[in-house]
Amino acid sequence: MVDLSQYLPILIFLAIAQGLSAAFVFLPIGVAYLTGAHKPDAEKLSEYECGFPAFEDPRSQFDVRFYLVAILFIIFDLEAAFLFPWAVSLDVTGWPGWITMMIFLAELVIGFAYAWKKGALEWE
Amino acid sequence: MIQVLAFYLFATLVIASAVFVIMSRNPVHSVLWLIVAFFNAAGLMVLVGAEFIAMLLVIVYVGAVAVLFLFVVMMLDIDFAELRAGFIRNFPLGIAIALVLVAELVLGIGAERAGALKLGTPDGTAAPLMDRSNIEAIGALLYSRYLFLFESAGIILLVAMIGAIVLTHRERSDTRRQNISKQVKRRPDEATINVKPEVGKGVQL
Repeated sequence: MVDLSQYLPILIFLAIAQGLSAAFVFLPIGVAYLTGAHKPDAEKLSEYECGFPAFEDPRSQFDVRFYLVAILFIIFDLEAAFLFPWAVSLDVTGWPGWITMMIFLAELVIGFAYAWKKGALEWE
Repeated sequence: MIQVLAFYLFATLVIASAVFVIMSRNPVHSVLWLIVAFFNAAGLMVLVGAEFIAMLLVIVYVGAVAVLFLFVVMMLDIDFAELRAGFIRNFPLGIAIALVLVAELVLGIGAERAGALKLGTPDGTAAPLMDRSNIEAIGALLYSRYLFLFESAGIILLVAMIGAIVLTHRERSDTRRQNISKQVKRRPDEATINVKPEVGKGVQL
């Protein structure tokens, strides 16, 4: 069984952070509810005077290039995640483990060179 | 005692946020609830002793996959209200998938009752690594005994990278990109011309 007592401070910090953020969110709401006037009216939410109703959905579409950047980020993120257990277990796996990781890195370097050559890492 | 309390806290939050993922009307809110579910699943993984998996959940799923989902949700021009209108029509299919998942859960619990998994040791003969940490045990198995799976994971990542580039990358003809090697290769004699025009005449370049 793993010793979980080291995680207790994190749990305490988590509880404090949640309490604080809940206070930041709900305290102003409560204070405003108790002290301010609450008179909802449909006219308050309508377009003001010479304004006009919105033509289209305010959530416009994203450029697909953001997606490419995000997916490249995920792939190199996963590659880095594979490096951590490799680095701490090298004394057990030895040279075969080292060569395994070098082959893995070579596979991704091929992809990296391809992405660089195609200009996928550049914005324009 | 604290562990039991933490388990019920995380488990309740996972289930609650998973329900909100499928119930919320705004798909962006769904993705944000999914992030909450991932965080609480990481907490459950820490409780069960799989610390490396927990950190991977936070780094990869929260840090990358959720952002990707957000991009996809914001990129697609889909009327989500119209999609949700098919809820009743697709209900049998949803139930079928849910039944498959429940069957997997039952099988998993049955396998867990059959005894502990003997994943083995790096070369299959030595004594298991008992007093090593979680991440070291994973590394010792992944990079020796299961190295074929590991290398195929690398190939899959390569395919994903090249596929994403092929599908989404477009050469833009309307922008003038900087060609650094062309700039560097330029010599003074081809960059400038020395002419002596006669008086009253222009220069033809």
